[in-house]
Amino acid sequence: MSERLDEGLTPRGLPRAPLRRFVLWLVPWTALLGVGLYAGYRCLAYGLNETNLDNRFAFGLWIYLDLTVIALGAGAFFTGLLLYVLRKRELKAVINSAVVLGFICYSGAVAILMIDVGQPLRAWFTFWHPNVHSMLTEVTFCLTCYLVVLAFEYLPIVLRNRKLSRLPSLLLFEHQLHKLMVVFALVGAFLSFFHQGSLGGLYGVLQGRPFAFREALAVWPSTFFLFILSAAAAGPSFVLATTWIASKLSSRALVRPEVYELLGRVSGRLLVLYVLLKSVDTLVWLNHTSPQLGIHPARFYAFDPFGTWVLFAEIVALGLLPALVLTSARWRRDPRFLVPAAFLACAGVALNRFIMTVQTLALPTLPFDPFLTYLPSWQETMSFLGVVAYGVVLYSLSFRYLNLFPQERELLASEEVTHVPLVA
Amino acid sequence: MFPWSPEFVWDAGHLAFFGAFYSVLAAIAAVLGLGLRRAVADARAGRAHRIAWHAAFEELPARDRACRHQLTGEAPGRVCDNAFDCRRCAAHPSFEALRATHASAVPATGPAGLHLPGDRLYHRGHAFVRPEPDGTVTVGLDDLARRLVGEAEVVERPRPGMCLEEDAPALRLRAQGREVRVLSPVRGVVIGTSGEGAAVTVRVDPEGPLDTRHLLDGDEVGAWAMREIERLQALLGPRELGPALADGGELLPDLGAVIPRERVDGVLGEMFLDL
Amino acid sequence: MKSPESNVRARYGMVVDLDRCNGCGACVVACAVENNVPPANGRATERTGISWLNVQRLEGAGGRAAFLPMMCQQCDTRTPCASVCPQNAVELDRSSGIVGQVPVRCLGCRYCMVACPYHARYFNWWDPQWPGTIAETLNPAVSTRTRGVVEKCNFCIQRLQAARTRHAATGGDPAVAPDYTPACVEACPAGALVFGDLGDPQSEVSQLAQSPESFRLLERLGTGAKVHYRTRRPWVRQAVADAPAPTDGRTHV
Repeated sequence: MSERLDEGLTPRGLPRAPLRRFVLWLVPWTALLGVGLYAGYRCLAYGLNETNLDNRFAFGLWIYLDLTVIALGAGAFFTGLLLYVLRKRELKAVINSAVVLGFICYSGAVAILMIDVGQPLRAWFTFWHPNVHSMLTEVTFCLTCYLVVLAFEYLPIVLRNRKLSRLPSLLLFEHQLHKLMVVFALVGAFLSFFHQGSLGGLYGVLQGRPFAFREALAVWPSTFFLFILSAAAAGPSFVLATTWIASKLSSRALVRPEVYELLGRVSGRLLVLYVLLKSVDTLVWLNHTSPQLGIHPARFYAFDPFGTWVLFAEIVALGLLPALVLTSARWRRDPRFLVPAAFLACAGVALNRFIMTVQTLALPTLPFDPFLTYLPSWQETMSFLGVVAYGVVLYSLSFRYLNLFPQERELLASEEVTHVPLVA
Repeated sequence: MFPWSPEFVWDAGHLAFFGAFYSVLAAIAAVLGLGLRRAVADARAGRAHRIAWHAAFEELPARDRACRHQLTGEAPGRVCDNAFDCRRCAAHPSFEALRATHASAVPATGPAGLHLPGDRLYHRGHAFVRPEPDGTVTVGLDDLARRLVGEAEVVERPRPGMCLEEDAPALRLRAQGREVRVLSPVRGVVIGTSGEGAAVTVRVDPEGPLDTRHLLDGDEVGAWAMREIERLQALLGPRELGPALADGGELLPDLGAVIPRERVDGVLGEMFLDL
Repeated sequence: MKSPESNVRARYGMVVDLDRCNGCGACVVACAVENNVPPANGRATERTGISWLNVQRLEGAGGRAAFLPMMCQQCDTRTPCASVCPQNAVELDRSSGIVGQVPVRCLGCRYCMVACPYHARYFNWWDPQWPGTIAETLNPAVSTRTRGVVEKCNFCIQRLQAARTRHAATGGDPAVAPDYTPACVEACPAGALVFGDLGDPQSEVSQLAQSPESFRLLERLGTGAKVHYRTRRPWVRQAVADAPAPTDGRTHV
């Protein structure tokens, strides 16, 4: 086998696929990205009539998926918090990957938001004329700041590239940035706490939508805290799931089993707490909050396909079940249980965001309103898939040229070696 | 957003919100500014080489970072976290105090037929130091390093008058199309270089007493060489090791010929601690 | 922006008589003409078209029908839309009680549309087009909107501004809120729409609003809407109000 064309750019000694095979892997994703860009271009050029959004379904696929990727991208801030502040050293093995994923999730979400709003060029208005009482203002400020933080957490990883780290100026800057990473971790945790919460608060303050409206603690409705908790619970599961996928695609172990263990354990415990608080919140909402607003809770689940099974699916099937598996030490040790449980936890958060966005808008508000349906147009779907493709491309490039998994090297050797002593 | 804009209201909500926002911006700017300033200070103080070496050291897996006292059996399982800089290690003096004198008679032939003369001190990056009678030292590649690089050309050699530091790159070679940097084991001023390829040597004037606490000597060398052979085994895998060992026991003079081309880069990187 | 008459605290509101409305739609047309509502794009549907005022048809048993004109209910203290707009592009004007939309500041995030339970807000999914000579019929007192922003009924605030100007020019008492008539009220042939200052106990609108037949939509949400509906037909009341008729003969204004 001849040497790889880009050998000088990949981490030394770590096996990487031949360049041709890597390019072939990127081609379909790049094509998908291209289609996504075209779909986005159409929306920007011709207007949002290219979507199936309308005056009743003002939020749709994009907002729902934005909320989901931001919740999953919480793995970045949470892993950083656990590593740099709570000193869980095992997570050094995944922090780089978590940061890259976080960057992908947040940059993708912001890109989609720029297409979603009617006047993207006016995006700076929120900063210039902010309404500090609006949850969306808080989200805007926090998301922007956090994307900047993520970019500067991504930068040192890029600067550690084999070729780039040969430049003394970049090497020295990376070294000093890394020493100050704990500040970024703390700022990131602060920002994440608030914007994950405010995304929940977006729905919880809607006094015109009893399905979404919740009781408040000071100015923050219960959904504020529930969204933070569910994001913190799903984040480690997402890191676990993506590490497993990367491991499968690259056909090698990337982290030690105890790293999966830790991620699963943290996710499981937070998930248990979340399921508990969510259940309490649901009972209060069904028995107290909604009746006070004149709605009988049965009305929320009277329309197909949003029957009570949805509530059961969210809290039990995709909440309690993965929580129980992830908190059990015995099941956590078995990847056949651990990995699906992590996926289920992520799916549970995705379902929760879907319910809060889509079911809220589908349900009638006025007594003579019909139940509404909405299916995204191809432009909406493809622009989102374009973001997924962007994520795959960026992650693939990062995996190939940067050292995303520090344990990859030591795990590699232990796979290959049968120690042959030299003694004659 | 700014206090001077007509809509701005000085109430608790605004103060809390903008207080938090501007604090976050200030924290981000402070980190970047501080990082930049410290990096410039590092550059001015000439710490770039030390930082580069520490960065490379951090990339090494635990099996490549065995403490010298693990090699001799004094501290089983002990891993170095000091970039092999025994002068700055808190535990090293106590180990040294406990040891008997270093064995003086060291066989010139080490494991797998490696040539390891006793008049030399060895750096973990496979450079040797031979003190000369006139107070200068000769620095070169040890036998294992020479066999690893085989037919090599010197791409970068230090110029006379240049200052070398410990753990800074002294030489750059090109072997089998890959670049290898050899770390300097000593600090001093370069007097001159001689030789070509893997046999290149550098004459260095230490300009003062030579500090060799971080270098291996005596019976450490044999144990270390054994360990290096094992490391090579781990990197090559059992199926390649056969051809590398002529007569079943001695390493070939040119290992590059038998190492699979796609592994060469990784093997050179790990053996020379150049990741 | 503070209006010069900011000392005045009017609460303009409307009472819609559901027993008089015959669903002719003249109010809808008048509103569209007055406020430069763009003609619908060829692909617009009832969910993507803009009409600040639209008439809902309610059906009762035995083929009975009633018509309900729906516009922005001009919520009061707890305006769901104003509190959520990130750019302060919605403002509850204290001097008139009108919830004003500022399309030039609107980012088009549509959060206000999600928040509004009355579906009173409309988004410009297309670029407004004024084909042929329609452009010559535009009302110069109302700015047209661009694609990607939200718009809604604002009780013809341009007519309020004109009334205030006339009021001041003719030496009217600055403490008194001037009368004016929105386009829909002016156009209704059945006299189903009554408009005025709810804060003035003498006004017809105020007295109608307090009568036992009057109610507000989604009263339990506590939005403080300034649009009241009235009917003497129990089935209509049942179809639209979420609270039964009060027994004390009064509703809150």
